[in-house]
Amino acid sequence: MRRVGILFLLFLSTNSAFAKENEILIGLVAPLTGDQAYVGTGVLQGAQMAVEDANIKGPVFGQTKLKLVSLDDQHNPTQAVLAANKLVANPDVVAVVGHFNSSCTKAASSIYHEGRMAQVTPASTNPEISRQGYDTFFRVCPTDDVQGPTAANFVWWKLGVKKIAILDDQTTYGKGLSGEFHKKFEKLGGTVLRHDGITQGEKDFTPLLAKIKSVNPELIFYGGVYPELSLLIKQSRKAGLNVPWMGGDGIFDVSLIQLAGPEFSEGTYATMLGVDPHALPAARDFVTHYEARYGEMGSFSAYAYDATNVIIEAIRRAGKKDRETILAEVRKTKDFPGILGALNFDEKGDAVGKSVGIFVVEKGKFKFLEEVKP
Amino acid sequence: MVYALVALGYTMVYGVLGLINFAHGEVFMVGAYLALSVIWLLSTWFGALPFGVTLIAVFVFSMIGSALLGATIEKVAYKPLRGSPKLTALITSIGVSFFLQNAVMLICGSKEQSVPEIIPNLQFHLGGVTFSLIQVVIFGVSIELMCFLTWFVKSTKTGMAMRATAENPEAANLMGISVDRVIRTTFVLGSALAAVAGALFSMNYGSVNFHDGYLAGLKAFTAAVFGGIGSIPGAMIGGLLLGIFEGLGAGYLSSEWKDVFAFALLVMVLIFRPSGLLGENIPEKV
Repeated sequence: MRRVGILFLLFLSTNSAFAKENEILIGLVAPLTGDQAYVGTGVLQGAQMAVEDANIKGPVFGQTKLKLVSLDDQHNPTQAVLAANKLVANPDVVAVVGHFNSSCTKAASSIYHEGRMAQVTPASTNPEISRQGYDTFFRVCPTDDVQGPTAANFVWWKLGVKKIAILDDQTTYGKGLSGEFHKKFEKLGGTVLRHDGITQGEKDFTPLLAKIKSVNPELIFYGGVYPELSLLIKQSRKAGLNVPWMGGDGIFDVSLIQLAGPEFSEGTYATMLGVDPHALPAARDFVTHYEARYGEMGSFSAYAYDATNVIIEAIRRAGKKDRETILAEVRKTKDFPGILGALNFDEKGDAVGKSVGIFVVEKGKFKFLEEVKP
Repeated sequence: MVYALVALGYTMVYGVLGLINFAHGEVFMVGAYLALSVIWLLSTWFGALPFGVTLIAVFVFSMIGSALLGATIEKVAYKPLRGSPKLTALITSIGVSFFLQNAVMLICGSKEQSVPEIIPNLQFHLGGVTFSLIQVVIFGVSIELMCFLTWFVKSTKTGMAMRATAENPEAANLMGISVDRVIRTTFVLGSALAAVAGALFSMNYGSVNFHDGYLAGLKAFTAAVFGGIGSIPGAMIGGLLLGIFEGLGAGYLSSEWKDVFAFALLVMVLIFRPSGLLGENIPEKV
């Protein structure tokens, strides 16, 4: 029923693109249908909550009211560009939260740049995006050149692993993350025995796993998202390949454990951006409200909440419905008290000082191991 | 093997109607979801059952469910279009495919669903080759169904009517064959086979998702074209060979190129042997 509700909401939001005079629109683009709808929904709900919370507190300035306009990019860069054009063309939209997938965020970033509209992504971690030099781009999550090397350090120093195999799903995200990991691990002196790619949506990895088994790695690093990893883990155990797996934020989801089976996923390592919101005192209110309203929290709901609030704060400070002024205010963000910790942007728009948490699957749950500060 | 079962559905519908039913992959996916629900219901109502019982129940229910779905699709989406250009029906089938995907997403959620393991994880070794019980089940069931289908089309009255309709629908009609009924039977049979394939697929990989039907459908279509669309043994052989090529390609060359192999094969077949390995089975063109 909830999902039907979301769809209906979507329908309404696209129809109500013509805002009333006193309405300020914030765009949100995420994969709301298609193969990654599960995370996109969590992002939408996080942003929705930020807007609702702000409206409860009263107008940001004058007699205005904030409103979220959500669009669906289906985890497809072409759709992402269409959505970005649509938002830029609507004069009532002042800033955008999104997109989710690095590939989509990257494709859309030039359009927001041309439209002089601040873009704050809650989840795209590919480092290349901010290297394009667009002054309209911001992100509230750490990048893969932090996440990948952190994982490599952990594997080399803490686990004492010398020989590994790497897999990625050939997406902007997966390739980027595994590439950063690869570089750092070799720099440390480790051996990368193989680095293979798979296709998203693929189901049978047995031939590939047989090849990996023959080179005898001590650990396998995976750059990608959990649906494929759960199959990889399951099929590797059945093929008698009993080494631990490790991945990034894309695999950090309880569904990984359910799909791969608790006994098979035991001992799988994951790095996650920041720490678990459940463990943060500042996020307690958010977590309680979120879970009461929508049920289980998505991995990126808290990031979407913070990203949206950065924009809302900037609108408040700007005090007028003007993209350029709001963009300048987003850039001026200093020590913003986000629920995931204080937030500052560097000159590229990347979040500064975001830590990476390392988790391991133990007794069917992700157990927090350590927090690595940059 | 699973490709072969799905490919059969494509081929049968094409043979009888001259229509490529792109919604077939989705019927396969619905079959997988039905299998999941049956497993889940059985385990909550009856607790642990011997796996043979569960397996049969899963097959029976997902076959019935998907057959109904197939018949409904035919009635709602294709029957009103009979007589209109073939392209219209083709585009409709793509629409039906989108509709089913999104309907399943809204009903079952967008997350991957895990399928409980009902077949014990036994391993057999035979001369250096290891295979598991589920693989044996997949092989056995597929072979059985293919034999049944071949017998059905060759030796029963309905099968004969099917072949007649494929050859010339108008003449078949004049001969007292109810073309509508034959078409409905074709959809029911094809969908039931897809359901079995879906059930086997979900049990083998342990997870299902609403967009699983898309790639599986596309691969099966490739298999059908590879073997010669419209020909039943062609679909079987096409499915088998496609699976083998993919596996070998991924194993010996590069796993990144697995899908490329499958579709490169499709392009090659279309260029060099447009009628497929066994030749297109269309006497109507003669």
